[in-house]
Amino acid sequence: MEVSFLAAINVSILAMAVIFIVLTILIFTIQTLVKLIPYEPPPSLPSKQKTISSVSSEQDDHVAAITATLAMHMGKSPKEFKIVSIS
Amino acid sequence: MEFSFGESASKIINSTGFSGLEGGDMTMLLVACVLIYLAIWKKFEPLLLLPMGFGALLANIPMSMMASTDTGGLLNFFYQGIKHEILPPLIFLGVGALTDFGPLLANPATLLLGAAAQIGVYVTLIGAVLLGFNMHEASAIGIIGGADGPTSIFIASKLAPHLLAPIAVAAYSYMSLVPLIQPPIMKLLTTAEERKIKMEQLKPISQTVKIVFPVVVTIVCCLMLPGVTPLLGMLMLGNMFRESGVTARLHETAETHLINIVTILLALAVGSSMTADSFLRFETLKIIVLGLLAFCIATVGGVVFGKIMCKLTGGRVNPLIGSAGVSAVPMAARVSQKVGAEADSSNFLLMHAMGPNVAGVIGSAVAAGVFISLFGDTVVTEPHAAIVDVIGSVEPGAKAALSQVVEVLQKNH
Repeated sequence: MEVSFLAAINVSILAMAVIFIVLTILIFTIQTLVKLIPYEPPPSLPSKQKTISSVSSEQDDHVAAITATLAMHMGKSPKEFKIVSIS
Repeated sequence: MEFSFGESASKIINSTGFSGLEGGDMTMLLVACVLIYLAIWKKFEPLLLLPMGFGALLANIPMSMMASTDTGGLLNFFYQGIKHEILPPLIFLGVGALTDFGPLLANPATLLLGAAAQIGVYVTLIGAVLLGFNMHEASAIGIIGGADGPTSIFIASKLAPHLLAPIAVAAYSYMSLVPLIQPPIMKLLTTAEERKIKMEQLKPISQTVKIVFPVVVTIVCCLMLPGVTPLLGMLMLGNMFRESGVTARLHETAETHLINIVTILLALAVGSSMTADSFLRFETLKIIVLGLLAFCIATVGGVVFGKIMCKLTGGRVNPLIGSAGVSAVPMAARVSQKVGAEADSSNFLLMHAMGPNVAGVIGSAVAAGVFISLFGDTVVTEPHAAIVDVIGSVEPGAKAALSQVVEVLQKNH
């Protein structure tokens, strides 16, 4: 029993050491990878026209959301409201 | 050919399962019902425990030929998937397809928390040896502390197949109890101030790094521990399906249909190994106690190492994320978030805890690889219960001869 207990302790110490060594090597590998291949943010939208249409579509979304919320709050159909712009 | 009424009736009665029903079978039918109850009403890992419980129900109906040891039976065929180490790696394929390693890549030091949590495995191994298990059995029991079901089944089927049923039940039951087991330990080992520590936002990681990561892990870990290749290789393949961006169909299949199908087969096969002679033993009780010890010590290891990292980084790491180093993904990370939010409701630890959580999956696979490297080529299997019974019932001279034959067969296995 004592021999098995000592064997278990030896195995445990050895195994934990192996796990830490393997994962430490992995840490260094990942850190090297991240340094070699840095994150590049995606490019921003280029043209003004695209910007205008995106703003107007954004405003349409806001209008739709406000219309739906008001309709729900007042218990009426969204078709009874017409919000044309937000200043 | 003539059949008398009496003979026919007798034949039919003797062919029913009732005629072969024994106390052990009835007890196991009750155990199966308890597992099904826990799965459905208590929501204990239902995806695994429900088919496992039902598999146990089928296997313990006498003369049904549904036990894992009934050659030619349906569940015996499913069990070959475990015996030949096919199903657990396929589950890992699905797990890899579901896992986002981004938080780990943003803070790779959290891999050490996944390593520290594996201390539960080895303390349990020592405890199992003290309780009379041999090293192979103790290794299979200890791996419960990795909190990884497929890894537990993989190692148990390799090193101690006769203990597969109680190990699988213990592993999955305790995984579902993580929200109950961990918080008291986490609160005991940390101060209120430590629990309130807010961590810096994780930096974004290039998609190219996410694609290269699975290849690098496979090469680094599998070259060092080739025995872990089936598990870790499949985990990383699944992750490649997810991150490569060119295998959307394979990704979708791996994370949904494949993992669901394999889960059903695996759980049924494990359930079919829960027969009276393999489950109703004193060893099962020891395994259940040791399993609890494994989870508790793993949590302690992760939190204590988290505290060490907190001290070394000047308070930039919240020790609570250390408890997520057990690989019960994503439950352990959610527990870290919950305990952290109890201390400070504006503290969001979930993504920080996902790093050590997924690191624990790699850590438990590496722990399994170490066991395979140490014990994988010297598997000792207990003689099957049926052989022991046969040996026990013959005259002494023949008994000695038969024992010698069994010994030679075991050595050559």
